[in-house]
Amino acid sequence: VLDYLLNGLALGAIFAFIALGYTMVYGIIKLINFAHGEFFMFGAFLGFFVLRDLGVERLPLPQPLPILLSYVVALTAASLGAGALAVATERIAYRPVRRAGRIAALITAVCVSLILQNLAIKAWGAEPKAYPQPREWTEVGDLDGTATANLYAVKRLVTTEGKVVENEARVVTIGEPLGDATRARLRAEGHERVYRQVPLDRGWTRGFVILALALWAPVLWFLVKRTRMGKAMRAVSEDADAARLMGIDINRVISWTFFLGAFVAGVGGVAYCVSYGKVEPFTGFLPGMKAFIAAVIGGIGSIPGAILGGLVLGTAESLIPYALREGLGWEAAFAWKDAIAFALLIVILVFRPTGILGRPAREKV
Amino acid sequence: VSGELLFWLNLLVTVGIYALLAVSLNLINGSAGMFHLGHHGFWALGAYSATWLTINAASLPGPLLYALSLLLAMAVAALGGLTIGIPCLRLRGDYLAIATLGFGEIVRIAVQNSPEDFLGGSLGIRVPRILMDVTRKTQVTFRLLSLAIVVVACAATIVAFRNFLRSTAGRRLLAVAQDETAAGLLGINPTRSKVLAFVMGSAVAGLAGGIYAHYMGGLDPKNFLFMEMVKMFLIIVLGGMGSFSGCVVGAFLVVATEQLLNRAPEAIASWWQVLFPLILAIMIIFRPQGIFGRKEITDIIRSWRRSAA
Repeated sequence: VLDYLLNGLALGAIFAFIALGYTMVYGIIKLINFAHGEFFMFGAFLGFFVLRDLGVERLPLPQPLPILLSYVVALTAASLGAGALAVATERIAYRPVRRAGRIAALITAVCVSLILQNLAIKAWGAEPKAYPQPREWTEVGDLDGTATANLYAVKRLVTTEGKVVENEARVVTIGEPLGDATRARLRAEGHERVYRQVPLDRGWTRGFVILALALWAPVLWFLVKRTRMGKAMRAVSEDADAARLMGIDINRVISWTFFLGAFVAGVGGVAYCVSYGKVEPFTGFLPGMKAFIAAVIGGIGSIPGAILGGLVLGTAESLIPYALREGLGWEAAFAWKDAIAFALLIVILVFRPTGILGRPAREKV
Repeated sequence: VSGELLFWLNLLVTVGIYALLAVSLNLINGSAGMFHLGHHGFWALGAYSATWLTINAASLPGPLLYALSLLLAMAVAALGGLTIGIPCLRLRGDYLAIATLGFGEIVRIAVQNSPEDFLGGSLGIRVPRILMDVTRKTQVTFRLLSLAIVVVACAATIVAFRNFLRSTAGRRLLAVAQDETAAGLLGINPTRSKVLAFVMGSAVAGLAGGIYAHYMGGLDPKNFLFMEMVKMFLIIVLGGMGSFSGCVVGAFLVVATEQLLNRAPEAIASWWQVLFPLILAIMIIFRPQGIFGRKEITDIIRSWRRSAA
């Protein structure tokens, strides 16, 4: 159970990351930003390219950058890229419809989401790509007995353009007998050192996302509650017209909000793909929907609500199917977890439309 | 020549099915003013329940089974509309959109995860041909027959909906769509009116699903993606929110564009998926009432005659 709970919390932390963007944008311009999931996807792709090119999973030692630093670079690229895309999207697509009514804006958002998704297919292809998994290597000294794992060595290759590329190559297969013969063969092939892969604990991704959320949430809270821009954001969400009369540049506030939301979503995108091991143009759709559900559960417009909602949804999505499988013997329960999330949304909307931490909005006639 | 004929017949049948979907969506989104984004879910419900009956009652004579399966498709979709409508229709605007969108996704996920011997799961399912044998020689006849069925269904639905909107219940619905609070103060039960429209709309989507299943001869959960919902929405936005004949015109524009593009080389063909959302966004910004607005074709012809006279 603890394992499922932790998985749920990690997933929930990712939902929370994305939900923050939904909630901030909704708080300011009352728009459900459907394209938010695509910002997330874009960030995940940028992270993918950075991690691939920095070679976090390849053997050549020394690696260009230590693994941890590679991740910092990937996360920074992802969040800045997603933020830039969000600002551009807002400027091009959302600003013209801001006065056209909420439904028109919502449809525009749905369209933007689909357009970005399909452009991503055009650019990067529709097939899922394996996300680089960090691997750690350790040198193997004594070559006796039988091999308990595949052993690898660095192989120099010369490409057709004459460039020297270092790549890993398997030199000993698991179960192969080791000894003088193998040693002689390796020496003949020019492999001075052989390495074994250190199995990374699957749990490290969980720790990574939970830690990232724990670090990010206070920063965000500080930005929104303690800075001038944050104050302006809150003022605009309370009453845009009054805020303008007070000399607040609304367009700047909105751009900033979009940027901040996508900035966080980019982090979530990388984290999500690291834990699922693949990235594709449709990566953003389902987590985007889930994160929106999380924002509604927590009370849309509220930042602590988004985090709480994300954690609640992630945990529910992990524990409810677990309980159904263990309690009722329903083997297929995990295939239905997406349906459970949507059902949860409908239940929440019906019984407490303002969410757990939302303030009820009074409607005047 | 025969290939060309088959292409255009297929196009017309597809137009008919989308017109049926769009007309029913239009009753909900256009006339009743609700923002419903889960119509593809009702379509799938209808298609799969018709398929289920066709497979499990194979001993019945073909035409009877065909009619029964369409009835079941409508009933199941209507029931789905009722169960989802009663809790959700108290929500407004964008919340309703999200809840119904969630429903549409649930239906698809459920079908995808269904056991293979029940609804085929993610691999899809074959629908037995019960109206007639479909071979290469009879293909033209089959498509003509399907076209006749879909045209009749479409015409009947449009007439039924127009008459409904002129009835007391229909006027109540229009009042609720204009101002829910005011209508409530006049003693109209807004939820009941909206649920009624929702159930009618979903039943017709179920009918479209049944016809679609029999026409295609096979179903795949990937036929019911959210993109289909976007197409339907584009159709009613092009045709005009609240105009049923506009839906038919819109359906023709959208389906013909898609199918003609599909004949183009691969590199161009897949651009419709970018093109459609783009047109939809541009329409919604610059002419949100669509080509026809609330007018029907008959109204427009009448006003032409008047101005000519």
